[in-house]
Amino acid sequence: MPVCHRYVNRSTRLPLISLKYLYRIHLVFVLSLFTAAGATAAACRDSDKLALEWLEKMSKSMRQVSYQGIVTLQRDSEMQMMQVSHSVDSDGSSSERLVELTGQGAQVERGSHPLDCIHPGDQLLRGSLLPEDRCAFAEQYRFSVTDGERVAGRKAVVIDVAPRDMYRYGYIMALDQETGLLLKVQTISHSHKVLETMQFAHLTYTDAVPELSEVDVIHEAQHPQLGSLSTRPTVARPWAIGWLPRGFAATDSPLGVDARRTYTDGLAVFSVFLEDMDIEIRPGEGVVRHGGTTTYSRGMRLAGQPVLVTVIGEVPVNTARMVADSVDWVQ
Amino acid sequence: MNERMCESLSALMDDESNELELERVLSQVSSDGELRQVWKRYNLIQQVVQGHPLTHLDWDISQRVQSALAGSKMGGREISLSGFRQRMLRPLISLGVAASVTVTVVFGGQQIAQLGSADPYRLDGPVAASSSPVGMLNSLGATAVQASYGTQAIPVLRPAIRTAYQELAQQRLRKYMQEHAEQAALNSPQGLVPYARVPQIRE
Repeated sequence: MPVCHRYVNRSTRLPLISLKYLYRIHLVFVLSLFTAAGATAAACRDSDKLALEWLEKMSKSMRQVSYQGIVTLQRDSEMQMMQVSHSVDSDGSSSERLVELTGQGAQVERGSHPLDCIHPGDQLLRGSLLPEDRCAFAEQYRFSVTDGERVAGRKAVVIDVAPRDMYRYGYIMALDQETGLLLKVQTISHSHKVLETMQFAHLTYTDAVPELSEVDVIHEAQHPQLGSLSTRPTVARPWAIGWLPRGFAATDSPLGVDARRTYTDGLAVFSVFLEDMDIEIRPGEGVVRHGGTTTYSRGMRLAGQPVLVTVIGEVPVNTARMVADSVDWVQ
Repeated sequence: MNERMCESLSALMDDESNELELERVLSQVSSDGELRQVWKRYNLIQQVVQGHPLTHLDWDISQRVQSALAGSKMGGREISLSGFRQRMLRPLISLGVAASVTVTVVFGGQQIAQLGSADPYRLDGPVAASSSPVGMLNSLGATAVQASYGTQAIPVLRPAIRTAYQELAQQRLRKYMQEHAEQAALNSPQGLVPYARVPQIRE
């Protein structure tokens, strides 16, 4: 059974930075968080406080409430439908399952996730990553809270989450007025276009897990553990990214030579993958966008070594590009 | 058919042949079935390198090209890999628009459609259009391409490179999305829904 680490616990994180070639990356986000924290005292207004309370409630209900329902995901012209369920067990862990009702028809399940295992995304939403400043999140987004219409038969409160910089998208979220559960979220581009809409079409609060549908593929979602170095993708030299948008933190603690890094600001998540190529490739870039997800690949040379950097995530392409541009070997 | 003809064909695709050579190759191709086959193979390799039709393969540049090359024997003789391999890789590295147009005009068909319409090569909005805060546009393979109908060198991403990279991004999406979703599911407030963004969920 997976063991939970408190991933971004500063007391364990800071000493790691000094380890040889491992964590320049951590320094980057620690510094960016500190900078954010220093500047946020003034940004935390009453209106923000209300929204922050809702976001904290949302984060908790997502992991601590038992529910099941049908969720739709609209991206571009494509609509996917899935059955989701989440149940909290008496032993203090939760199980969840997603079954695709359209498309591939795959099933993803995660069992026995400890409730007290709180990942950096939730820590940021709950303001517990930097306890001395619970308003840090309000440095990245500005909020407005209004009463909303019903979603999936539940009365909703709507939080308009607008980015304060160009490095992340905005969101319009509808939360269950009673439980705080996220009923609907729209990802909004800088040109105010809806990129993606996720919403419950049907929702019940229950411990019961729905009957199994017919599925072809069952994927056991991993609790992210790094495993042994010999089995996970690595590159020849330790590397790091030199720039992160403000407020983003690493989701786990990879070694310098690990091929993947992932960052979150609590709402948006992006991953960076590095490949060292054994062949010369022409420098260039390619982008694919689908809904709110950007995939950006960039071929370049780092100290003479041809590499391909790929950034995948729910961030604007400019963010992906700047992150890719800042990738470098750690000296 | 001799190795020199193969070299000429390859040079043609690399935009290195002069007009005389072009004529010679063309007349040979039209009368030599074997050479036509070689030409087809070269085109196939070039398409592999540009990533056009191979949407279902996990594209690794080096492997694909190497295996394509390994299968390229001319008249029973293995081509010298070092020089030839380099040459065959050059389309990715330096295929010029002029060469593509030449080839297209001569051999017609599919490619002209691809070259003729600007859209398939256009990167989604901001990449091509926006200015980058870190001033990256000039380091992104933006290269001066001499347009045949003008005298000004216009800095644009070469269509072949652009297409190859767009396809590459598609393939990397398929390769990496699940790993990203795994992290996103634990670090964004949508539960397991990020997995729905994975094109093909693997066990």
